Amino acid sequence: MLNDATRFGLVSRVIHWAMAALILGLLILGTKLNTMQPGLANLWLYGLHKTMGLTAFALVLLRLIWHRISPPPAPIGPPKAWETRVAKAVHHLTYALLVLIPLAGWAYASATGLDIMFADRWVIPPIAPVSVAWENGARLAHSVLTKLLMAVLVLHVTGALRRAVKGDGTLSRMIWKAQQD
Amino acid sequence: MRLIPILALMLTVSPALAAPEVYHLQPDLSSVGFETDFGPDKITGSMPVATADLTLDFGHVGSSKVAVTLNAAGAQASFPFAAQAMKGPKVLDTAEFPEISFVSTGVKAEAQGATVSGNITIRGVTQPASFHAEIYRQQGTVEGDLSHLTIRLTGAVQRSDFGAVGWHDMVGDQVRLDILARIERAN
Repeated sequence: MLNDATRFGLVSRVIHWAMAALILGLLILGTKLNTMQPGLANLWLYGLHKTMGLTAFALVLLRLIWHRISPPPAPIGPPKAWETRVAKAVHHLTYALLVLIPLAGWAYASATGLDIMFADRWVIPPIAPVSVAWENGARLAHSVLTKLLMAVLVLHVTGALRRAVKGDGTLSRMIWKAQQD
Repeated sequence: MRLIPILALMLTVSPALAAPEVYHLQPDLSSVGFETDFGPDKITGSMPVATADLTLDFGHVGSSKVAVTLNAAGAQASFPFAAQAMKGPKVLDTAEFPEISFVSTGVKAEAQGATVSGNITIRGVTQPASFHAEIYRQQGTVEGDLSHLTIRLTGAVQRSDFGAVGWHDMVGDQVRLDILARIERAN
C-alpha cells in the first residue's frame, strides 16, 4: 500500500491511473462541450463534466495528502540530469494545474448562478459570487490552464515513454510494484 | 375546456351592453405559457398571472383597457436548470425585478380577435409590444352571459431588448408568450 524509497505503493498507483483516465475523459468531454450545440438530449454532459472534474479535484487533493503520509520515491536517474529536472518541473506544474483547473471550473459554474450538481444528486456550494465578470474570468482561466495542461501532459507522456524505451523502470514502477533491487 | 369566441359579439353587441365593464382576474384559473428555442429543442414553462385589470367596452372595442402583471419569480420551466437560469441575474433577474407588467395603450378589432398594443416592462425596461387577443365565454356560461370570460393574449418579445441576454449562445432571443387570463365581471 505504502510508497517506499524506490517503489510506488498500490494507493499511489491506483490514484495515478484513475486520475489519468479521468483527465483524459475530461479533456475529450470538455472539448466536445465547447463545440456541440446544446440541447435537451446532451444537457446531461455538462453535469457529467462537473462530476468528473470534482472527482479529479478530490483525487488530486487525496494524492497530495497521501504523499505527505507516504512520500513517493525519488525520480530515477542522476538528480542533476536535465531530464530529472524537467520531469520534476513538469510534475510540479501538473499538480498546480490539476488544482487550479477544477477550481477555475468550479468558480465559473458558481458565477453563472446555477446549481452545481454532483452525480445529478448533491448540490455543491458555490465558491464565487454570481457575476458576469467572475464568470468570464474563471471561464477564460479554465480554458487557458486546460490548454497548458494538455501541453504539459504531452511532455509528461513523452518523457515517460522515452524512459520506458530506455528501460530505466520509471514507467513500469508506476504500473506494477517492481521488485526491489 | 370548451371556449366560445365572443369577439364578434363585441362588435355587434346591443346598446344595453355597450357600457365599459370592469373585470377582475381569477388568478387560480389563469396562467402564462412561454416558449423559447434551446438548440434543436424548446424550453417551455409557465408563469402565474399576479394581477389583471381589464375594462372591456363591447360597444367601442378601442376603448377597452388591459393591464396584466405576471409573477416572474414564480415561473416554472420544463427542466430545473431552465427555470433557475431564467430567473437568475443574467435573464429576468427576479430577485431585483419579480414582476413583468403589460399596460395597453390601444385595442384594435380585427377580423379574428383584436390587436392589443401597449408597453411591456421586463427587468425594469419598458418597450412597446403588441399581442393578439381573443376573448371567450367560459365553459358553463350560457350564451350572452359575459360575467365570466377568458382572454387569451399571444405574442412574442425579444429578450435582448430588455437586457435579458444571458445564455444567448444556447437559448433563443425570441420568447413566445401565451397569456390565458380568466376574468370575472366586477359586481
